[in-house]
Amino acid sequence: MAATLTSKRFSVKDEADAIEMAFDKGWSDGLPVVPPTEARVRAMLEAARLEPGHQVGFVTHRAVSITAEKVAINAVMAGCRPEYMPVVVAAVEGIADSRWSYHGPGTSTGGAGVLMIVNGPIARELDINAGDNLFGPGWRSNLTIGRAVRLVMRNVCGSLPGLLDRGTLGHPGKLSYVIAENEAESSWTPLHVERGFRADQSAVTVVAANGPHQFYNQLSNTAEGVLTTVADDMRISGSVMGQPTYVIVLAGEHMKTIAADGWDKKRIRQFLFEKTHNSHAHLKRTGRMSNAIVDGDEQRMRPLVGSPDDILVVAAGGRAGAFSCYIPGWGSAKSSQAVTKEIKR
Amino acid sequence: MMEILDPTTEAATQTIAYVPRPTALQGKRVALIENTKFNSDRLLEKIGDILKAEYGVAEWRMYHKHNASVPAHAEIIEEVKKSADVMVAGIGD
Repeated sequence: MAATLTSKRFSVKDEADAIEMAFDKGWSDGLPVVPPTEARVRAMLEAARLEPGHQVGFVTHRAVSITAEKVAINAVMAGCRPEYMPVVVAAVEGIADSRWSYHGPGTSTGGAGVLMIVNGPIARELDINAGDNLFGPGWRSNLTIGRAVRLVMRNVCGSLPGLLDRGTLGHPGKLSYVIAENEAESSWTPLHVERGFRADQSAVTVVAANGPHQFYNQLSNTAEGVLTTVADDMRISGSVMGQPTYVIVLAGEHMKTIAADGWDKKRIRQFLFEKTHNSHAHLKRTGRMSNAIVDGDEQRMRPLVGSPDDILVVAAGGRAGAFSCYIPGWGSAKSSQAVTKEIKR
Repeated sequence: MMEILDPTTEAATQTIAYVPRPTALQGKRVALIENTKFNSDRLLEKIGDILKAEYGVAEWRMYHKHNASVPAHAEIIEEVKKSADVMVAGIGD
């Protein structure tokens, strides 16, 4: 016999009343939820082959154990199909990982979203969008998987906006911020392979991140030309003084231009790292670095991130349009690091 | 009628033994926990000096977190437990 679900139960008249109850009890992110009935929750657990009491993660900073049952309930509410559950579970494992360090991104005024980059066969099986309108509406998997993770943060970890989640501005990605890498059309090594997984494995990388910054270059037909534009945009962006990570999302046209020039991801990272240094004098003049300018500050350079490896390059976005984007990570390298987890099925 | 499940985690109950709050600061040792945000050390120094001059605390000592986005690390907590009666934690936002 299947293990008992131990969550408290509430009786309601019908689905409409259940949706209103979720608002009244503060369980919703502001959008209507799918009522989490036992049958729906069990279907979620079965799809991930998890017992309800299985601990998906333990957030030390919050002293919270996140069980599969609670993840499943929130995934139902978010509108996930049962087959999405393994992705949600892997992402929750990621944000509970000590390297991701929940305390900061779960609470900070800096307003981090959880950017989730899905790689491997599951991305195509679940139709996780890697193309047109990458961050926009239109794909159930993209919008509900991220929503489920945010509902777990809200309902299980206590990151309630205005209370524990004190984001000054936040951003729309805090509702859902899920993309897949366009492995089908990219000649580059997929992100999860760069981070130690096999190409036939599926994985999700979670990054505490600000919103996407779009850039435009319709003139260049070389890798250096396109990347010069993004480097110039990136150089002064985000909090400048110490993001742990930047994610570079290269869409169809730019991806083809850069790859046709023979540049791989390593060379892209190295170029962007070298071209995004700022002088201490500039950082001080513009109110980003503390203290007065001293001799040598014009020549003293500060890199945007600690090393080229802190720039994650992802092929994704529509085929048409000379646009791509970069995403500044939240906080600093000491505050939170990107974490990649295998999606187990 | 239908039944739905609670998505929240009920708080686990635990008993925490608090140290009794001192009734006066006279002669007490104060720990200042600095979170590394700009000027937070200066603000706390000022607070420490006021506590000495106006409330008669015996001494203050400052401890620095690794960075603003993480909890105070174990070494700080252990040291404060041994060497202070009262603690002031500063937030720089």
